[in-house]
This record gives sequence, C-alpha cells and structure tokens, in this order.
Amino acid sequence: MRILEDLGKRLLFFDGGMGTLLQENGLGPGELPELWNLSRPEIIFDIHSRYRRAGADILKTNTFGANAIKLHGSGRSAEEIIFAAVEIAKKAADGALVAMDIGPTGKLLKPLGDLAFEDAVSVFSEAAEVGKKAGADIILIETMSDTYECKAAVLAAKQTGLPVFATMVADEQGKLLTGGDLPAAVALLEGLKVDALGLNCGFGPEQMKRLVPQLLDCCSLPVILNPNAGLPRSEGGKTIFDVNPQDFSAAMEEIARDGAWILGGCCGTTPDYIAALVKRCAKIPPKPLQKKNRTVVSSFAKAMAFGEKPVLIGERINPTGKPKLKQALRGGDMDYLLREGITQQQKGAHILDVNVGLPEIDEPSLLPRAVSEIQSVVDLPLQIDTSDPRAMEAAMRIYNGKPLINSVNGKKESMEAVFPLVKKYGGAVIALTLDENGIPETAQGRYKIAEKIVKTAAEYGIEKKDILVDTLAMTISAGQENAAVTLEALRMVREKLGVFTSLGVSNISFGLPHREHINAVFFTMALQNGLDAAIVNPNSDEMMNAYFAYCALSGKDEKCMAYITRYSEQKAAAPASVQGEITLSEAVAGGLKESARAAANSLLKTTEPLEIINTELIPALDRVGRDFEQGVLFLPQLLMSAEAAKTAFEEIRASMGQEASRSKKEKIILATVKGDIHDIGKNIVKVLLENYGYDVIDLGKDVPPETVVGAAQKDGVKLVGLSALMTTTVANMADTIRLLREKLPACRVMVGGAVLTPEYAKQIGADFYGKDAMASVHYAQELFKAN
Amino acid sequence: MTDRNEILRYLGFRGKPADERTLQAIESCLAELEQAVTPRSMHRVFPVTFSGGAVAIGGFAVESADLAKHLSGCGEAALFAATLGARADFLLERAAKADMSRAVVMQACAAALTESVCDEFQQEIAEEAAKRGLYLRPRYSPGYGDFPIRYQRDFLKILECRKIGLSMTENCMLVPTKSVTAVIGLTKEKTSCHIAKCMECRSADCPFRKE
Repeated sequence: MRILEDLGKRLLFFDGGMGTLLQENGLGPGELPELWNLSRPEIIFDIHSRYRRAGADILKTNTFGANAIKLHGSGRSAEEIIFAAVEIAKKAADGALVAMDIGPTGKLLKPLGDLAFEDAVSVFSEAAEVGKKAGADIILIETMSDTYECKAAVLAAKQTGLPVFATMVADEQGKLLTGGDLPAAVALLEGLKVDALGLNCGFGPEQMKRLVPQLLDCCSLPVILNPNAGLPRSEGGKTIFDVNPQDFSAAMEEIARDGAWILGGCCGTTPDYIAALVKRCAKIPPKPLQKKNRTVVSSFAKAMAFGEKPVLIGERINPTGKPKLKQALRGGDMDYLLREGITQQQKGAHILDVNVGLPEIDEPSLLPRAVSEIQSVVDLPLQIDTSDPRAMEAAMRIYNGKPLINSVNGKKESMEAVFPLVKKYGGAVIALTLDENGIPETAQGRYKIAEKIVKTAAEYGIEKKDILVDTLAMTISAGQENAAVTLEALRMVREKLGVFTSLGVSNISFGLPHREHINAVFFTMALQNGLDAAIVNPNSDEMMNAYFAYCALSGKDEKCMAYITRYSEQKAAAPASVQGEITLSEAVAGGLKESARAAANSLLKTTEPLEIINTELIPALDRVGRDFEQGVLFLPQLLMSAEAAKTAFEEIRASMGQEASRSKKEKIILATVKGDIHDIGKNIVKVLLENYGYDVIDLGKDVPPETVVGAAQKDGVKLVGLSALMTTTVANMADTIRLLREKLPACRVMVGGAVLTPEYAKQIGADFYGKDAMASVHYAQELFKAN
Repeated sequence: MTDRNEILRYLGFRGKPADERTLQAIESCLAELEQAVTPRSMHRVFPVTFSGGAVAIGGFAVESADLAKHLSGCGEAALFAATLGARADFLLERAAKADMSRAVVMQACAAALTESVCDEFQQEIAEEAAKRGLYLRPRYSPGYGDFPIRYQRDFLKILECRKIGLSMTENCMLVPTKSVTAVIGLTKEKTSCHIAKCMECRSADCPFRKE
C-alpha cells in the first residue's frame, strides 16, 4: 500500500463528510444513508470522486451504519451493502486508499444497555470481514463515544489483519460520552495495537485543536483528526455548520504543526473543505512521533500512570485466608465482592486486585463475570489476578480498559501463556522473579530472572514499560536476610533494568504475631528503596498511615495536602463515630450501621446468636416495618434500619460459623423481568427479605423466563418475586409466570412494580401483589409459616 | 435548581416533614450527582400536521389521540431529548450495591435532577419560540396516555440521539436510564403553558400522583 508507506513522510488526508452531501441530494431525516449504495450508487461514486479530486488520500466507504443492528428491518443485509459500498469507493479511488468505515451500533453495551460485549464483537466482525473481502485497504472505526464498544470493534477489525484506525468522539473537556477521558481511551487503544488513533466529529477544528496537546501528550501512535465544519445549529429544520473552508484549513494547519499526521473532515465538511485543507497543509512535514515511555493502566474512566506517586493495589478481593469471601464466591454472591471493591476505593486504593481462584470454582467463567460486575460499580483500573491462562484471557477480553495483569514469571511455560495475551489485549504485567529453579536466594539471581523476562517480552513486542517487576517478599520468620534480599533486588531492578516495581508487601510477616507492625515498616523501607506499587490492604490504618506519611516526607505530596486532608478530617469526624453504647434495637431503629455492629458484637459475648436474632433484631425490624406501614417512617428510614440490621446480621452470622449460617434458610428468587432494566424496587425487596432471614437468589435485571424457571428448579425454590416497571414489560412478566406454572405448579409468585395493580397482578396469574417492600415480607412469612 | 419537594415526593413522604438524615442524604446525593454528570440534550423543531387521530411532527408520524389532543392548536412542535448520561447510572448502580437507603435517595435525586435539567435545556427552545411569538406546551413523552413507547425508536433516530449518548434497549427503554424524550408543542396561545402531567395520566392510583 503505497500511501501507507508515506505515513510519517508526509501528511495524509482523509475525505470529509458524507451525510451532509447526501442530504443535499435528498436524503430524508431518519433515512438510512447506507441504502443509497444500492439505490443511488452514482451519487456515492460522484461524492467519492470529488473528494479524490480535492486531494484526499483515504476515502471512507459509505458504511457508517452498515451493521446488522442498524440495518435491522431495512430489508437489506450488511453484506450486500458493504460489498457495494467498497466497490463504489474502489472505483472512485484512483490510487487513494479505501477505508472500510465502521460506526457505532447505536446501542449501549451491557451493563449500561442491553447489548452483550460478544454480540457487539460479532456484529463488527461481520462488517469488518465483508469489508476485507470486498477489498478495503484499511478499517476505520469512528465516532466511538464508548471505549467498550470501541474495544469490541477493534478486536473484530484486528482479526482481518488489515491496518486498523480508530477515532473517538469527545466533548470540549476531552471526555467521551460514557465519561472516560482521553488518556484512558488512548491507553486502551494502544494496548489493542491499533495503527493510528484520534478524534472525529463532535465539534469544529477550533475546539478540537484545544484537545490536541492533551492527546499528543499521552499518545505514541500517529494521530488522526477529522473535525466537523464547526458547531451545528438548526435553522428552519436544516442543520447548518458555522466554519467555512478557509477557517477550517487555517485551524487544521495549526493542528498539523502540533503533530497530527492524518487530517480530514466529518459532519458538514465537503470537497471544498478538503481541497482547502490539502492545499494549505500538504507541504507541512509531519512532526516526528514521540514515544511516551509511560507505564499506564486504565479503567473505562481514567488512566493511572506509575512512577509519579506510589500506587496502592487493594488486595481484599482474594479468597486466600478470607472465609467470608470464600463462602460468597461459592454461593455466587457477587454483592459481597462488590462491596469489598467499593470500600477499598473509598479507603484510597488506586487499583483493585481481583482474584476469585478457589479449587472448586470454574474460574474461566467466574473471573470475567467478577471483573465485569466490579467495573459496573468501581471506576478504578483492575489487576486481573489468576494463574489460569483461560481465566486470564476471558477476563482481559471483556475488561473495559487496559488492565494490570498478575502475573507472569520466569518459567518458559508462564511466559508462553501470558505474553501472547498481553500482546493481543494490551495490559501491563507484573513479573515475578522466580523460574523453573524456584526463587533465587540472592538479589543477583532475582535480577537475572527479571532481565530474562523483560528480554523475552520484547520478543513478543511487549515493551519494557509494560512490565512491573515483583522481587518477591518472603517471610522473615523463615530467614532473617529475606527482607534485605528483596529490597536489594528491588533497587537493582529499578536502577539497572529501568523498570517499575511492585510487591505483595504483607508476605514479609507471614507466621509472625501483629503482622501489621512489620508490614508497615517494611512497606516504608520498600518505598524508600524505590517501590512503585504495592499490593496492600487499604482497610489497614497502619499501612495507610505509612503511605501518607511517606508521601508527605518524600516530597510526593504537594504542600502535604493529601496528608492534611486525610488526617484533619479524621479528627473532626471522630466524635460523631463514637455514638456511645446504645442497644441493638436502638441502633436498628435509628439506622446506625456502626452502632449496630458494635452492639451486635457486645451482645455476642453474652448471648446466643439465634437468641439475638429472635429477641432483638427481628422485633426491632418489625417495629420499624410497622411504623413504615403506618406512615410514621418513610422509605429511606426503613432502608437505613435495614442496612443497620444487615450489618448486625453479618457479625452474628460470622460468629455462627459456616454450617450454622447456611443451614435451613428458605430460598426466594428475585428477578426483574426480561426487557426491564429498572431494578431498584427489586433491590429494596431483597434487602428486607434478607433481613428477615431469607436466602435471596437475586437473578438481576432483564432476566428471561427460562432463567427464572431454571434457577427455581435447580434450588427447589418455593417463592419467586418478579418486578417490572413498564406496561410493555408486564407482558414478559406474564410469560414468566406462565412458564413457572407449567414447569413448577407448586411455586408461588409475587409481583410488584410501578404499573401493576392488584387486579392487573391477578390477571397475569400472580399469587400476590406487593404494594411495597414490607408487603412482600409479610407474604413470605405467611407462606413459609403455612408450609 | 432541583426541586427538593419533588425528591421527597418520589421518596413517598407525601407532604410529611422529612427527617434530618434523609435531608442530609438528599444534599449529599445531589452534590455527588451534580459533580459527576454531564447532562446533554438535543432538539429539533418541525411543523405539525393532523389527520384524524394521528399527528405528524415533520416526518415523525404518531398514532396517538392523546398526543394529537395535547398538540391541538400547535403549528409546530419540538422533538426534545435530554440525558444525565452514563455516569448517573454508574452512581445509582454503585449505591445499590453499597447501601440501599442511599440508593433510593440517589434514585429520587437523579429523577428530580433529570426534570430540572430538562427545564433548563428547554429554555433555549422557549427563547427561540418567544422571538416568533410562540409559547411552549408541557413536555409530552412516549409512554404518556396512548402515545406508545415503541415510538422511541424513530424518535431517537430523527433526533440523532447517539450524539448525546442516548440509546434504547430492545424494549424501547431509554439508556442511560435517567433520560427523557418528549414532544413540546409550540403555540400562539399564551395560557396553555402549564398542564400538570399527573392530571393527564390515567394511573389514578399511582402512589406518586400529585394531589
């Protein structure tokens, strides 16, 4: 491809907008422009030819919306449209490259919307494959406002082997519509190894120009910029753009001089704009690319760079030594894990480690699920922690961002399994300094392994910057030189090898009493020796104190602001948290979580767990429930009490041990029906039912009838609660009830939701209509008492 | 300014005074939302034509007697859409996992914020209309009366709502969830500017119905 070889030697030019020109030719609002490849090919050909004559090096095919989702109901397939479109563009190309244009599906991906990630990949794969078969030279993924959808498209496009360009649409602050910032998007796209990336649409060149420094600052790849002809406004039902070709090209010249390599236009631009652009900018020599040697990981929202300040990786989502988490994972209870994630973020973690490895668990299916659910409530980057390469791949694939991977080591087998994944999906990886011969006893030995890992990674095309070396903290109870060796190796790796470092700090104290004393001091020593990231427990005050004090002392906390903010607030908050000794029922009535925890623990010293539940907790909940029903208390207060009771229950259950706490609880299934995504009502019911001791199996939202029935069959469940918000989804509720009746005639069904009434509930075959959350508790009590 | 009374109504207080902790939670949730979300909107004005029980706003033809009644006397109407964006749903989801009492307050705050954001965005349409001596009818959304929500599909397409990150599910539910689509009639009648939505709605036993 002659023109691509020119990349970097001269500026390359994209063509401009297609939609505006089609509208001029009579395309109506809401009409699919892609259909014109079949019905009006001569017009498409003419537009391409005009752009080529204006000097465009790359022509975008008229396939922005040519995917199975957008074409649904059009009577035409993506395949025939794409074939036609590529053919027309090739005919007009006259030496120019043809870029198979892929736009968004128009749907939001799960968990926000209802399009599954792999379904999005399939839709894009179809388009990309046909584009390649039809003879496109490049795949251009454009106007992406969601990094997750963009990732699906890039994975699909990369499968074709064609060069892949990707451009996103941002607002004037440089944020994508889904809230991510530019460094996060760049980290993800560079990790996926696109060939060039940038921005298109959204606004005109003036506004885009202001984002260029931000983009170039974090990007090591050729940058593409395809702005609109200014800002659109509506005039008498027509869309008008406010920048003319001269002003457009003048602003684009500045952008070219700043360092963008590939320039063109989007909405509102015409061959006149591209002609002016080419005329003005063709002679500008491209500014050499600057490799940014930054070690970065990202979530969908933001990027996190190593080396500026030590990075705290929260270690709490790892079942090793945590019976409660083990129990939750075995029972498929994601909520516990999600709360651990949210708490760690609140406590100040920068990245969360996610490990769900247990011998009896299907890790390749659970790890991606955990990663995906955590990303729906935590916007920190995640560290995917597993020794199972299949689980690692599954999690890396669905991760929205560039993950940290834990881990690879010097064994041939490990490197052969992990490096291809890092190469394909992107990521920074933690390298443990051990190999086939075990863990070397000397710093020199560990350094050698680190060196070998870095060298092998390079053979896979993985740069040194994407590796963090862990020189392995080994307990000092087994060897008094252990801390010194780890720290010496750490220093060597950092200084001689020039890579960042990470440590699982708490291993150092294994087998010793009061481990946190040792951990905190070792952590400080490691930081002083150049540690860049540490896997720690953010709930440990001693560790966090060491961290904040170290940052303040080492000049990494400007004006000690982080330190001051943390500790002056804490002091002020102290009196409020000491709420004095109040009884458990008072704590529940008042909705005071911490007091409820304390009261439960002090009662546990003298009273049997079951007695506390029956004589204190349940009566307190009953009183609150009655007050709610009589209009003395309202929903937020009812739920504050429920949350306080839940905290007390957790303490009590922990003291009962696994067996007792799992025994003989009645199971209730809750689900928001298929097609419905509003589940707050269901979640309220869940908290209250759990308070009253029921084992709630929460199937989530948008749940198909078969899933409800399957779950009920599997666990022999006698009560199913269904919620629906909209009249349109009540039909799916009726279907679910019908299927339940057919397969499980003994199972009772209670329903609730904004559009339901007692009559309506009866009509669709429900046994009970719950007008509020307490009503469902009463029904469950009655039902299970009768049984 | 987001209406605190509206939030309390969503939370079921029915005009009774709220407790201090709920009031605090409302302020804290509103602050969290306002800091995190970037509301966006789109609108386009089209001529309105009537034929029998159907009404067309530009090329957007709707079979709905209620919408036709609502737009009677309007020569033009705006198709309007607004969303709090994906971030609001993220915060709601997170609250639901961390603490349900906060989640219900957050939900009510987000709903009220959506309304106030719509009111603000709508000002632009009102100002454009005022220049031409026209006044706005209240927003009328798919799902009200006999205006079916299946019209969301065409509505989103005509307004190109993907540009503000607004989409829908298979079942025509808007995503992000804190979003509104509405038809706003433009009329010369000055007096028609406010009809309480609850009065138009047929769910007479709705717990949130305004008295």
